[in-house]
Amino acid sequence: MKKMNITLIVSVILLSLFGLLMVYSSSYVWADYKFDDPFKYVKNQGIFLLLGLILMFLVSKFNFENYYKYGNKIFIICFILLILVLFIGTERNGSKSWFGFGSFGIQPSEFMKLAMIIFTSKYLYNNRKDINNIKKGVIPILGLTLLVFGLIMLQPDFGTGVILVMGVIGLLFVGGVNLKFFLKVGFLGIGGIVALILAAPYRLKRILSFLNPWSDPLGSGFQIIQSLYAIGPGGLLGFGLGGSRQKHFYLPEPQTDFIFSIISEEFGFLGILIVSILFILIIASGIKIALKCENLFGKYLVFGIIFQLGFQALLNLMVVVGLIPVTGVTLPFLSYGGSSLMITLVGIGIILNVSRHQK
Amino acid sequence: MKIVLVIIVVIFIVIIGKVFYIQVIDYDKLNEYASNLWSRNLPVKADRGLIYDRDGGILADNITTTSLVVIPNQIKDKETVTKKLADILGVTYDEMYKHINKKTSIERVHPEGRRLSYEVADQIRNLKLDGVYLVKESQRYYPFDTYMSHTLGYVGIDNQGLSGLELMYDKYLTGKDGAIKYFSDAKGNKLNLSEVYEKPQDGMNLTLTINSDIQASIERELDNAVTKYKPDMVIGLAMDPNSGEILGISSRPNFSSNNYQKYTTEEINRNLPIWATYEPGSTFKIITLAAALEEGKVDLEKDTYIDRGGIRVENATLHCWKHGGHGKETFLEVVENSCNPGFVVLGQRLGKETLFKYIHNFGFGSKTGVDLNGESTGIIFNLNNVGPVELATTAFGQGVSVTPIQQVTAVSAAINGGILYKPYIVKSINEPETNSVIKENKKTVIRKVISKNTSDKVKYALESVVSNGTGRTAYIDGYRVGGKTGTAQKVKDGHYLDNNYILSFIGFLPADNPQIVVYFAIDNPKGVQQFGGVIAGPPAKAILTDAIKALNIKKPNGGMEKEYQYYDKRYKTVPDVTGMDKEGISTALKDFKVDYQGSGAKASYQSPKAGSRIYEGETVRVFME
Repeated sequence: MKKMNITLIVSVILLSLFGLLMVYSSSYVWADYKFDDPFKYVKNQGIFLLLGLILMFLVSKFNFENYYKYGNKIFIICFILLILVLFIGTERNGSKSWFGFGSFGIQPSEFMKLAMIIFTSKYLYNNRKDINNIKKGVIPILGLTLLVFGLIMLQPDFGTGVILVMGVIGLLFVGGVNLKFFLKVGFLGIGGIVALILAAPYRLKRILSFLNPWSDPLGSGFQIIQSLYAIGPGGLLGFGLGGSRQKHFYLPEPQTDFIFSIISEEFGFLGILIVSILFILIIASGIKIALKCENLFGKYLVFGIIFQLGFQALLNLMVVVGLIPVTGVTLPFLSYGGSSLMITLVGIGIILNVSRHQK
Repeated sequence: MKIVLVIIVVIFIVIIGKVFYIQVIDYDKLNEYASNLWSRNLPVKADRGLIYDRDGGILADNITTTSLVVIPNQIKDKETVTKKLADILGVTYDEMYKHINKKTSIERVHPEGRRLSYEVADQIRNLKLDGVYLVKESQRYYPFDTYMSHTLGYVGIDNQGLSGLELMYDKYLTGKDGAIKYFSDAKGNKLNLSEVYEKPQDGMNLTLTINSDIQASIERELDNAVTKYKPDMVIGLAMDPNSGEILGISSRPNFSSNNYQKYTTEEINRNLPIWATYEPGSTFKIITLAAALEEGKVDLEKDTYIDRGGIRVENATLHCWKHGGHGKETFLEVVENSCNPGFVVLGQRLGKETLFKYIHNFGFGSKTGVDLNGESTGIIFNLNNVGPVELATTAFGQGVSVTPIQQVTAVSAAINGGILYKPYIVKSINEPETNSVIKENKKTVIRKVISKNTSDKVKYALESVVSNGTGRTAYIDGYRVGGKTGTAQKVKDGHYLDNNYILSFIGFLPADNPQIVVYFAIDNPKGVQQFGGVIAGPPAKAILTDAIKALNIKKPNGGMEKEYQYYDKRYKTVPDVTGMDKEGISTALKDFKVDYQGSGAKASYQSPKAGSRIYEGETVRVFME
């Protein structure tokens, strides 16, 4: 047994604690307004963070090879939960993705994200011989992924769906699937998008509105404009902790998808730089662990988790700074959201455990 | 996997780069937009530009008042606040509640909360209510109230210019309002961030060509004329003939610029010196005279005319104002006597084309282009419709319709050496803080109308009108005054009205080198003999007399002596008697009474001093040593 990766632990804990602070700073105005309790969101997030950190340490002691054993069961349980949530889930913000327990909520799609990585890692490990056979190797897992994606889209939750699919694709890539295949899929995707646009040209305008959000400032451009109003005036050092103006009802739900804007407003460019470096440290240590791992399943597992996390972070940040259209993805460790935080920390726990089994 | 890491890091760098771009390149734009989004403005009114006379005296000023504004979103207990404010302002609860409850970011309590007295403002301030603010407002104030009211104009409740110069130069006079910016959340609540004061940009100042002493003199004479004659209207206008600068302008009826609400729009909008059109009467003869002299149609000294009281033109007889006529007279005397048949002859000598050419060249029949609004054009006969009778009446100022400013501008050209200037009243527009000149008006030559030589002759003739002729009432002893009277019958619906005249006088000073032209007209004075010289001469003289001091005009040498009539008292110059004995003194002072003081043989001191002019028969004291 090796010692755990200190860089990873420290970065994760720092980022999570900073996230908790920022959830408070960005949410207290809305929390006070909605619930008469400025600590409403931070209390929830705090409980989940504590729970998540405990789970992270427990999971880091739990041999990752067990996931290989239980991978199918975990996947099936999550799959059933995904179907159930469509019937008995609570609706929030127009999407049915929650099981509500009082003021808490559980998001099965978050669990599915991890379950999908475990299942795909196992699948790739089992079918490592057939992986270059598109029909036998790739189509089945991709088909299953698209089925899960479809279920998530029924909620609907496009952002989570995309992350889940990209996690699988990332794994297929490192699993040795021929590059040509990705190119074909890519072309297919682009062709599909072109077809959709040709069928209804207004979609292009809609999609491109992120390039000039001021073309529709109260509609599709609203969130990104509010985000830019937070980032821009922040400047080098920002307005200081608590100094954000945009959180005063200008930016809706600033503690979730757009928490990065508030960080930028309160801590400026320097804050952004530090957060980005912490993310890069986490991703880099994750990939380093994956590279060193001799157990192929463990390698896939670590890479899948870290790739999914990194992709989600990048997707969120690109939306917030206006590089891509709004997709509705939270920022790992920082955005408000119990299930997401907990599952992310569990994922880190798995990585930590894998790192302990290295030579 | 390493490739994946590299790609991820690269995308992170792109994101950081984009943040950098947003925070540095787009900073100004975003910061401005965002500030506008976050901040709410409590307006701070800019001061309107001041209007000065030519010497820096303030004609239109500002006073600061306090107004009430409320920010409904910041008022928690709307009922209590409404009740308190309604009590202080003396308005009903419901009226106040409308303001307090309005769905707007900032509500001006109008009109109840405007221009609050100090006591009321203090009461409100002491309540220390959230969302209730007192803001400074600047209100126009005209220190001379009714002076020049038509020309200055007035402003509305929001300080917008509504007439006169206030309207004409509104763009310059209006400043840019400033604000106290405070930060607010998206629901309008005030945030605990420091407020930003945006300084208001005051409006530009106007400096006019007005000379306040002359203006005051005109206003005084207008008031006197109103008191004495109860006329329909009175007009006074003074101009610098060598530039077209208006030195004084006013009329009656007038209004109070501070309280314009009490007057009708007609009273407010008619700036009579530029708006009123009427037959000028004899003052117009100056034009005929100038034309005839320029064309060489008359020698004032040598040519003579025998006036038998009327002249036949076609089938009509045009009468002279003097019953029985003036008899044989030189043309200089024709001018002095303002003899109508004599001027008919001058008109006939010129012919209609030439006379009308001069009339148009002197600026009649078109606007002078003065920088005031509401100027009239007047009416001159169309040349095709001018027959012998029209030519004849036009020559002595009947059948044409002109404005006072056209007359003053034309006469200025006739006596300044022959140059027609465009009249103007705004000398310069200045930036309020640095006082740097934004725009400056300079004299504008329209055209040369007559030669300098002709102009000199006109001046001479008009000086003799005042010394010897109908303009005698405007004679100022020791100074050289030129001028011309005018008596015009008013026309209504194509007919002359009985006993309803506009009596006018146009005079200038000094006659050899005119510095000021004054026009004074009284419309339909009541209960007096209706001759221009008698009624309009004295006020014109009073204004000219005041102008001597106002313009610092020196006593000239060699003016024309007034030709005295039996009822006139004469001025005589007191000779120097110091050093003389009693015999010499009594000879030298034969026109005066002498009061000897002391017991010496020779005069050592005299009072008044040598060179003073006093009425004959008055006393001169002489000290003998």
